[in-house]
Amino acid sequence: MAHPVVQFQIISKTPDETARFYSALFGWTIDAGNPMGYRRIDTGSKEGIQGGIWPAPPQAPNFVQLFVAVRDVKAAAAQAEGLGAKLLIPPTLLHEGDEMAVLHDPAGMAFAIWRRP
Amino acid sequence: MRRPSIADVRFRSYDYTRLHSAPSPQEWQFRTRLQEELRIRKESNPRYSLRAFAAFLETDHSALSQILRGKRRPPAAQIRRWSKKLELDAEEAAAYIAAGHVPDAATRERENQLRHWTAEAMAIITKRTHWEIVRLSRTSPFQPDCRWLADQIGVTADEVNLAFQRLLRLRLLQSDAAGRWIDLTNPPVLNEKEFRRAALARVREKAAESRVKKRGLS
Repeated sequence: MAHPVVQFQIISKTPDETARFYSALFGWTIDAGNPMGYRRIDTGSKEGIQGGIWPAPPQAPNFVQLFVAVRDVKAAAAQAEGLGAKLLIPPTLLHEGDEMAVLHDPAGMAFAIWRRP
Repeated sequence: MRRPSIADVRFRSYDYTRLHSAPSPQEWQFRTRLQEELRIRKESNPRYSLRAFAAFLETDHSALSQILRGKRRPPAAQIRRWSKKLELDAEEAAAYIAAGHVPDAATRERENQLRHWTAEAMAIITKRTHWEIVRLSRTSPFQPDCRWLADQIGVTADEVNLAFQRLLRLRLLQSDAAGRWIDLTNPPVLNEKEFRRAALARVREKAAESRVKKRGLS
């Protein structure tokens, strides 16, 4: 299986302001009407990938995180740890059946692995 | 033909552009500049010694050796004095002095870890949302919906999401395929005080675990 980058996520200390900024700048539609209150970004284009906005915890900077598709989140997380990554959020099932885990790569950059239902 | 002076050799051999491209923190250090200077002088004169370099800088050779090996940091006054002898301009000397105040990678990593785990602990202490999520996850009807939880607790959905993610990170909560949120406090805590104690203990465990993993990787 190939492992494409399927989503980007903006981690922001001021998610509402970030949503307003990118909506105004690029005309992106941002909708938080889901059980997680997750601000889904629809860029309005079939090119590229879609994204989301998530609030940043106080100790984290603002940053962008990539979501990479995997078939087996647990196995991919274990493989990443074997290669020197650090598991931040263990494989977690989300409300709509998605499964994800968040890791730090060996350089300390956060990324997520994701399996759609 | 005129024999090139030390200064000629130095300016020809020392690649100043490296400092403007992508210098590593190692290159910011004055000792790296001294090592380079000594290398250039030795290249020009293979018999040139550390003692000769120390004499040029008007310092003790063992002190210079310690600085070159990174065992001792040169104080600002010494950097200024030696920079003059090496014909570096005042701005360059000031940059090396400033670089001396930049923490090294290991110190920065320790500070980041301390900041991270302190923030996790303080959030547990100051934000009741964590306990409320765990408490509500045991009730019926519980809705694994951040908006519902936000209404119940009287906070924003973002605050619920931050607390939810922290509970996942600390392995105090997990969600399953049926969309349920499962309390992982073991044995299940009965009140807020017990929850805080258990959560802070988990923060300490996770901090210790991350220190061990870091040592294991290095």
